[in-house]
Amino acid sequence: MSRIVMRFTGVGGQGVLLAGEIFAAAKIKMGGYGVKTATYTSQVRGGPTVVDIQLDDEEIWYPYAIDGQIDFMLSVADKSYQLFKDGVKEGGTIVIDPNLVYPTDEDRQKWNIVEIPIITIAKEEVGNVITQSVVALAIANTLMNALPEDVLVETMLSKVPPKVHDANKLAYELGKKYALEAMNK
Amino acid sequence: MSTREVISSGNDLAAMAAVDAGCMFFGGYPITPSSEVMHTISDLLPKVGGAAVQMEDEIGGICAAIGAGMSGVRTLTATSGPGISLKAENLGLAQMAEVPIVVINVMRGGPSTGLPTRVSQGDVAQAKNPSHGDYKSITLCAGTLAECYTETVRAFNLADRFMQPVIVLLDETLGHMHAKAILPTQEEVKKNIVPRKTFDGAPEDYKPYGVAQDEPAVLNPMFKGYRYHYTGLHHDADGFPTEEIETCRKLIDRLFRKVDAHRDEIELNEEYMLDDADILLVGYGSASLAIKEAINVLRDNGIKAGMFRPITLWPSPEERLEELGKKFDKVLVVELNQGQYYEEIQRCMGRKDIEKLTKTNGRPFSPADIIEKVKEVF
Repeated sequence: MSRIVMRFTGVGGQGVLLAGEIFAAAKIKMGGYGVKTATYTSQVRGGPTVVDIQLDDEEIWYPYAIDGQIDFMLSVADKSYQLFKDGVKEGGTIVIDPNLVYPTDEDRQKWNIVEIPIITIAKEEVGNVITQSVVALAIANTLMNALPEDVLVETMLSKVPPKVHDANKLAYELGKKYALEAMNK
Repeated sequence: MSTREVISSGNDLAAMAAVDAGCMFFGGYPITPSSEVMHTISDLLPKVGGAAVQMEDEIGGICAAIGAGMSGVRTLTATSGPGISLKAENLGLAQMAEVPIVVINVMRGGPSTGLPTRVSQGDVAQAKNPSHGDYKSITLCAGTLAECYTETVRAFNLADRFMQPVIVLLDETLGHMHAKAILPTQEEVKKNIVPRKTFDGAPEDYKPYGVAQDEPAVLNPMFKGYRYHYTGLHHDADGFPTEEIETCRKLIDRLFRKVDAHRDEIELNEEYMLDDADILLVGYGSASLAIKEAINVLRDNGIKAGMFRPITLWPSPEERLEELGKKFDKVLVVELNQGQYYEEIQRCMGRKDIEKLTKTNGRPFSPADIIEKVKEVF
């Protein structure tokens, strides 16, 4: 496979880091290379956070996504969206939470903008806002077709406490469902 | 060598390495971007009968760690640049009293509190002389995730061999990046541990600092019947303060010679695609990841570049740099500071006409930065 480059952005404290670790670990389990880096500010909560994920069959040296080469971005905070959107290649996919991120008309022409209410799904349909990271994971994987779902879900479950396995399985299913609906629109 | 695959971050790997290398004590104080070293080792040490203590501040952290080192165990502290500034005085004590201790510095932007969450290589000059006075620093610098582990292990072995602090430089990128690392097995690490020398003759014959002029002190663990004195003052063979002219001269001379006479045991470098290269890039730490990627792209475009990467920064690889300075016309030094190692490379190569690419805004080099600079200057 050629390199897949994804970027998850939000604000500090939203927990976007975990999805990156799951992607990297799942790819490595399959014998490939996966790298996750996170960039954040010294503001503990509320500062823009960006997680870069690269997956490849070949060794990856430089650990950050390179602006202009990003295939996919997911954003749950407007200030992070505005700050990092230009790294996405033209025609690339950007998933946004429409309650929190406000793309311009020009943005909609430049990129394939997909609106999925990630936080609301986690909060109201799963019942646990922390699962937004797994909702995001499912959306990214469904839209990008990055990794086999069984490996990814198995890796995800190995990284969350057993008592929330069911909630996270549900979060994954819902994320996948919304992503498929968005694709068929 | 038998190996294993681990998925982790640089900070966690450094903590794991310390425990695998036999470290039994951690004294420290949390600071971004090194805090995960402390978090992880606080979890690991009690499981092997060791202890981790969060002290009242950075100074307390290194003092506790030095105390553990004096008692005879392998000991660690971890911090970032501002913490090294605070620990400086006691790094000097450990140099003077010859107490082995490993100090991990996960570098961030400076000076002062600088850029807490951002990457930098701004503490390279500091690592050479953190404290006042004359002594010889040993500083290792990890350039890959795996080296966050292996260089920490090596630091413990060197600290016991040379009886002095050994600094391991990581940086924010390596400390926090999360990926696969191929590591030696724990058995492999344990097999290669060389404990510090001890004296087992009659206690009245014991002269801890009365050693050959190119060797470190032999400090027995405390409470084993061997009496001696620890001090930051100039001291005699028993460790008691003295101002005797020749003793003072020989002491500082020995602190230098114990390292200089054994550089071959300390030096470690990586050479990447140098054999057929026309352009020499010199870099270290996480900057080398961007350099490698840049070299691959440059070569795809017919530009033959290669990299020399010192893994031991201090003492610097003088002889190899001198050879490379003669072999390569075109030399570019790439570092995330204003040129702290550049000057050392100029000195070792004995020439001024080398190029540099530097950055101090808390952001990493991208491979494109390096490619552009190579095309601009050569």
